[in-house]
Amino acid sequence: MKIVACYNVKGGIGKTATTVNLAYLAAYEGARTLVWDLDPQGAASFYFRIKPKVKKGGKGLLSGKKALDDVIKGTDYKYLDLIPSDFSYRNLDLALDDFKKSATRLRKILKPLNKEYDYIFLDCPPSISLVSENTLIAADAIIAPTIPTTLSLRTLDQILDFCKKMGIAHDKILTFFSMVDSRKKLHKQIIENPPQNVRVLKSCIPYASDIELMGVHRQPVCVFAKNSRAGKAYQALWDEFKRSY
Amino acid sequence: MFPDQACWLDNEKMETVSAKNMESTNNDSVEFVLKQKADMDAVYELLCREYSLHETFHVQLKRYYLDSFDWRMYQQDIVCGWDVPNNKHHLKVNNNQDIKSQEGVFFIQNKDTGSSLYEFPFDHMPRFSKDISHQTCRQMLDDILGIRAFMPVVIMTVQRKQLLVLNKEHKTLAILQAERYTISGHTVEKCLHDRLIVFPIRGYKKVFKQVLQYITEHLKLPPAGNTLLDEALAAIDQTPDSNAFALTQRLPDSLTTWEATQILLRHLLNVMQANESGLRHAIDTEFLHDYRVAVRRTRSILGQIKHIFPGKLLDYFKREFYWLGTITTPTRDLDMYLLKFDGYMHELPPHLQNDLVPFRLFLERHWKVEHARLCQALDSRRYHKLISQWQQMFASKDMQSQSDTVLLQQTSPQETFNATKPAKQVVSERIRKLYKRVLKEGWMITPESHDETLHELRKTCKKFRYLIEFFHDYYPDKQISRLVKKLKLLQDNLGDFQDLCVQVDQLNCFAEQMRQEGLADTRTIMAMGVLVQKLTARKAAVRAEFGQRFKEFIQTDKKAAFSHTFSLKRTDT
Repeated sequence: MKIVACYNVKGGIGKTATTVNLAYLAAYEGARTLVWDLDPQGAASFYFRIKPKVKKGGKGLLSGKKALDDVIKGTDYKYLDLIPSDFSYRNLDLALDDFKKSATRLRKILKPLNKEYDYIFLDCPPSISLVSENTLIAADAIIAPTIPTTLSLRTLDQILDFCKKMGIAHDKILTFFSMVDSRKKLHKQIIENPPQNVRVLKSCIPYASDIELMGVHRQPVCVFAKNSRAGKAYQALWDEFKRSY
Repeated sequence: MFPDQACWLDNEKMETVSAKNMESTNNDSVEFVLKQKADMDAVYELLCREYSLHETFHVQLKRYYLDSFDWRMYQQDIVCGWDVPNNKHHLKVNNNQDIKSQEGVFFIQNKDTGSSLYEFPFDHMPRFSKDISHQTCRQMLDDILGIRAFMPVVIMTVQRKQLLVLNKEHKTLAILQAERYTISGHTVEKCLHDRLIVFPIRGYKKVFKQVLQYITEHLKLPPAGNTLLDEALAAIDQTPDSNAFALTQRLPDSLTTWEATQILLRHLLNVMQANESGLRHAIDTEFLHDYRVAVRRTRSILGQIKHIFPGKLLDYFKREFYWLGTITTPTRDLDMYLLKFDGYMHELPPHLQNDLVPFRLFLERHWKVEHARLCQALDSRRYHKLISQWQQMFASKDMQSQSDTVLLQQTSPQETFNATKPAKQVVSERIRKLYKRVLKEGWMITPESHDETLHELRKTCKKFRYLIEFFHDYYPDKQISRLVKKLKLLQDNLGDFQDLCVQVDQLNCFAEQMRQEGLADTRTIMAMGVLVQKLTARKAAVRAEFGQRFKEFIQTDKKAAFSHTFSLKRTDT
């Protein structure tokens, strides 16, 4: 089982779209896949048409595998399950803090799912918090989508610093450029000269209306527009990601 | 497509889903049988009163159920297959639903529960486990199939209509699939009962139970008692029997040597014939291997059970089966080198591995030539004559009555004096002789002995083991299995050593041949040289182990136990 965290401090940069599409592609290829929508906004749950509600709230989930088992919902896609979001996740930091070894709690409760799933994707909320720390420690791979702009690159540096401070292996962090607008000169320049202090995947996700339409279709792009630019880009990203790990 | 709504309400032959069945549905699908033609629209209408339903697709598939020649998947309670759209313009897909079948789908299911173990898009029918790139699935198949190939065991057309049970958010809560099956590939197309399959969605157990209850109580459909594969196999009179080519007939003590031998030889002929088609079509290397083993065993019986065949007849069959063994050897040798090729690559340091690639091309090229030669030999008059003469041998119970065989007409009774003796007596005597020979040859081997002496011992051990295995019915199981276990360990050592001897010699010959044929540059020849060095070192190590293995064989076997097992104290006259 591989745990993949899709994380960035910034919001609105395509974390959820990345999680949903990569998880869908993994399941499509026959890998048993689970998405945990950790963001109280519940966008991933919305895309999968699943009510953002879990029994006993976030705190209840942290008690162990049984609690997780009870809330896992099958999506419309074979081998793809979801732990839905819940509004109580906004207080997940506090709930985690109540446990001993609070930074590794998530890793501990996910471990028993090892036999059931090949991939677990964590759709992380945009913040630096105990939840982020937990997801980054639990993950075997951390994908940080980055918009090719100066501020986003600055944020990426902050993430790398944060990971370094927590002692997270640098080689499990990778990034790719998201919401790329090929008409913009700055985007082009940054893509041509990517940061050297982190592994950057070559595949880029374009700024495309098909990705926004995910909210209308409530499906991964790769379902309703498999052969679109965005659909192909996610496929390429997934293929490259698998080769990298 | 699924006509006659009335049939859904026909409850004459109805069974109900047992409570156990309903409870065991945790994450597994439940299949119902439509005993008569029924209309999917009727299901649609009935369920529509309770749920929001949505038809996603209507598709015609060709399904290939896959298994090895010896039913390895089936024996492990696993159903494996490949679905591919039969005719793409029949495909009707609504609302961009998730459908993988456009490119073909490979699937593995648990035979008992029907639960899906693996399912992923696959654009061609896999032949071997190595064709599968899905890592865990590949591991599972490697363990079960080994080097055996997949073969289609049933081919059917599946007409599938899928309905989703949705909630207000249009989220799928359960899936209904109505399927109609026609078995193709036979002179007459065979239809099986239609099925309605209900798939649960995790986390929506309540809906699943409601749908099941609705189907059983209102539609009164009986649950499928058998898997679809089993039903299909029964329809085409196919029995998945992995032991089809194992000798199941017991050899009673009362049999004469001729009668017992006849049973064994007939069985070996069946094995040869069963494997002939597979080796001709090169489905996998095991067909030729099993064919050769049957030939070798036949030769062993001809050589070891003496004085049951008239001399001239024996000479003829010995010569012809020797020929049969010989003509199959080059292809088998090349099979072995190709099977070992990945191992050869790993023997070499990484920078030399690619230099070996021309060797694989050389092997493949020669394999094609040798295989064609083999097929030619199997088409020859000589082969057909041998098989037909051999079959005639078993046409009647009494060998002496085979008067239509010219060679038999000149038989004198002195030549076949063992034929009418009790088999146990003749065989035990022979086993004792072979055992003594194994001991004698084994003791004579010293670290300085020529490699050939080990090869001779290997051949004797093989003959010895064949006889024990053929006639194991005559001896106590426990002793036999203990003896065979130790003998096997000794044989493994001797077999490995012989293999390495042959490989070292043959690789040197191949390198020279490749150079002459202009297929190898200096780098390839060097890589092969390094390989030969590695194999030579391993050969020395295997040879060094021989003494210990032989000692273990002698010690554990113990003469007394052996004498007891094979009644060394003669009771015969």
